[in-house]
Amino acid sequence: MASLPRFDDEKQPRNGPGDGARPGSQPVLSMRDLGKRYGAHWALRNISLDLAPGEVHVLFGENGAGKSTLISMLAGANQATEGSISIGGFKGEFRSVSEARMHGVRAVFQEFSLVPNLSVADNIMLGDEAIGPWGLLNKTAVRREARQLIERLGFDLDAQALVADLPRGKQQMVEICKAVRAVPKVLILDEPTASLSTHDTEALFGLLRSIKAEGTAIVYITHRMEEIGVLGDLITVLRDGEMIATVPANTEESRLIELMSGRKLADLYPQPRTEVGGLRLELEQFSTEDGSVCDVDLQVREGEILGIAGLVGCGKSELGQACFGLLRRASGQLRLNGRPISFKHPADAISAGVWYSPPDRKRDGLALIRPALENMLVSALEFGKIQGMFLKPRAEAEATSRQSSKVEFPVGRIKENVSNFSGGNQQKVMLAKSLGQEIDVYLFDEPTVGVDVGARQSIYRYLHELAASGAAIVLISSDLPELLGMTNRIAVMRAGRVVAQFERNEFDQHKILEQFFE
Amino acid sequence: MAMTSSQSVSALSRAGSAKSVSVSQWLQHNQHKLVLPGLFIVALSIFAFSAPSFFSIDNQLNVSRQSVYLMLVALAQLIVLVAGGIDLSVGTIVALSSISASLTMSGVYQNGEGSAEWSIAMGTMVAVAVGGLVGLLNGVGTALLRIPSFMMTLGMSSVVFGVALYLSGGVPVYGLPPEFGQVFGYGYFLGIPSPVLVALLAIAAVYVLLEWTRFGRHLYAIGGNPRAATLSGVRTERATILAFVLSGVLSALSGVLLTARLGTGEASIGTTFPLESIAACVIAGAALTGGVGRTLTVVAGTFLIVMVQNGMNLMQIGAYAQTMVVGALLIFAMAFSKK
Repeated sequence: MASLPRFDDEKQPRNGPGDGARPGSQPVLSMRDLGKRYGAHWALRNISLDLAPGEVHVLFGENGAGKSTLISMLAGANQATEGSISIGGFKGEFRSVSEARMHGVRAVFQEFSLVPNLSVADNIMLGDEAIGPWGLLNKTAVRREARQLIERLGFDLDAQALVADLPRGKQQMVEICKAVRAVPKVLILDEPTASLSTHDTEALFGLLRSIKAEGTAIVYITHRMEEIGVLGDLITVLRDGEMIATVPANTEESRLIELMSGRKLADLYPQPRTEVGGLRLELEQFSTEDGSVCDVDLQVREGEILGIAGLVGCGKSELGQACFGLLRRASGQLRLNGRPISFKHPADAISAGVWYSPPDRKRDGLALIRPALENMLVSALEFGKIQGMFLKPRAEAEATSRQSSKVEFPVGRIKENVSNFSGGNQQKVMLAKSLGQEIDVYLFDEPTVGVDVGARQSIYRYLHELAASGAAIVLISSDLPELLGMTNRIAVMRAGRVVAQFERNEFDQHKILEQFFE
Repeated sequence: MAMTSSQSVSALSRAGSAKSVSVSQWLQHNQHKLVLPGLFIVALSIFAFSAPSFFSIDNQLNVSRQSVYLMLVALAQLIVLVAGGIDLSVGTIVALSSISASLTMSGVYQNGEGSAEWSIAMGTMVAVAVGGLVGLLNGVGTALLRIPSFMMTLGMSSVVFGVALYLSGGVPVYGLPPEFGQVFGYGYFLGIPSPVLVALLAIAAVYVLLEWTRFGRHLYAIGGNPRAATLSGVRTERATILAFVLSGVLSALSGVLLTARLGTGEASIGTTFPLESIAACVIAGAALTGGVGRTLTVVAGTFLIVMVQNGMNLMQIGAYAQTMVVGALLIFAMAFSKK
């Protein structure tokens, strides 16, 4: 490595980050020629970036572009093969997360570092607990300090709740509380809003603005365009491990996507079909035993995409689960193609022609240690064309290549374990599972969470094709632009009930959002 | 941008070092695959120096005959491990099947009610049914009552051992038809020792079951991610129960063959099987977290363990030391297994 030529002192990086944007302000942190190699493959090359105090620097790129590698090096979780990081008087690389922390760099990753069996307060104060007389834990002080912090941040969190009992969005907030307890010099956030409700997203943005004002530089990864506009100062686009450009945050979305993918993209959302057919799925005064869904009346037709919108916890996910036999019905009717149905097990639902795709692919969707092929065919073996007691390798190969091409998954990698794949490809494997058998009604719960724009477009095309082939689709999503773009109709849920429905010609972001809140 | 000479040189040196990096990285990522071949090489080289008679055909035949009993139990363990469970009751199922087989056989045979064949068939059926029943209880406890399989089968192993002791009164059961030992203990069929033949059939059956049937695929899916399997329409409870039943049946079969070999029914046999069967699977790369493990490598893993025991016998190393070695092997394998 010593033989590497070093020109960095004379030469400004080609797409110099915000050069001249803030004259006189010393960068909080500088990266010079950072590179990371895995085997013969460079995951990242020639990254030179400066982070100015109080700057929100968005990293933008497809999955596998190198964003995660870059932030893991910044956070000390991963070591660079070449290049250096300077912060304060320090120059070199962080050998561990705690070394990065010592220099004031904190990261919130998508994989949480929480202890599920401890309370929110215990987690927030972990490693820095208040100690009382006799060296014993001062539990009241721990709780009080945590509560004060939560209050200051304006989060909707119960300090005494057990982390294991919290939904993902709340866990995310606990993680953020931990990171900002002592205001860091550099805060790294990896898709922090992916599972947050609108209210908590607002609180998070408020928090970010206030720590920004204190001079913290924020490195922010997101796939959501609207957040970039609201929060960002600069955007650095990465592609195939290289820095493509650093542009101001008000850059047009289409330009960003072009930079990111290296090609021009057509419209993200295919137009939904206007002509729809007969009734597929009908809910009449439908309620679940656990009360998460009450008195819901809904209908989805052949060829139609119905969007379900609402805050986290409004019952939209539970509605999908209830239609799939995962939650018990208390009262009301569920009808499929006109016939009343009642599912006790997902197997009943799938054989009747109803499919549910869960929101958390790692927890509920995929066996990560098994090959993509096996994951794709689990249900096809039971319900599809290749069913039978013994496996049929040739039929399996045909089925997987057909299913892969529908979701644009690289079929050459079908024998690799799912854990090797990027988020986008994992998601495609999970969605392809639904294609192994005859399905009339698809319930997709957050199908594009944590997925880059390229993969999102494939997923949208796939949903569109399913609808075009006569299936009815229920798209449950926290991403309102996605619903506005993809669906024929949007039903808004609040506290387990459907409170409003909007036809496509009535779509209005403001009016729909209003219905989210009482 | 034009490439300066220093850059091209560094690019070359980079390519060179990339290769060496990738070899060491390959080793790092695949060390779990090297455990079994590595242990074989070490064991064989030690025996080549200290116990040359190990390699005689007679002794090899001995090894294969000795490995039958652990083989059946290791296959049983593998089925449960793949589905994400663990079966600690395999040892006492062997014991109970020995007792129930021998009590049935001696009962039928001595009463003069039936011929030797009839009594052997009856005894075997009863033993296998008892093994299957214990497996069913294990499966129901694990899949329906959601008791962790570790605790369910640990508790069950004590229950089963108690039943075996109760039925036998704690003493060996005699009075088996001599044909039982002659045919299933020491006999040959088509030139192959008959217990070895049974083991071969069991290996083939488990191999086909795990790798070539839908049920097998479902077991891997359940072990890989039970929630994902349920949401994909797999009846996970049913499959888990069946896995435990199969484990009980295979263990019982091992107990029957062992009884034929010993000539008596014993409640004290099988105590080392839980550990040894888990060791055989883990050395062969099966994951304790489920979803990973292949039949034929587990067969090799079983051979390794029996081979090591046999070699140590030839080297006249005592039973106590052997016990230590098997435990150490398991720990060693775990250290290098994929986590």
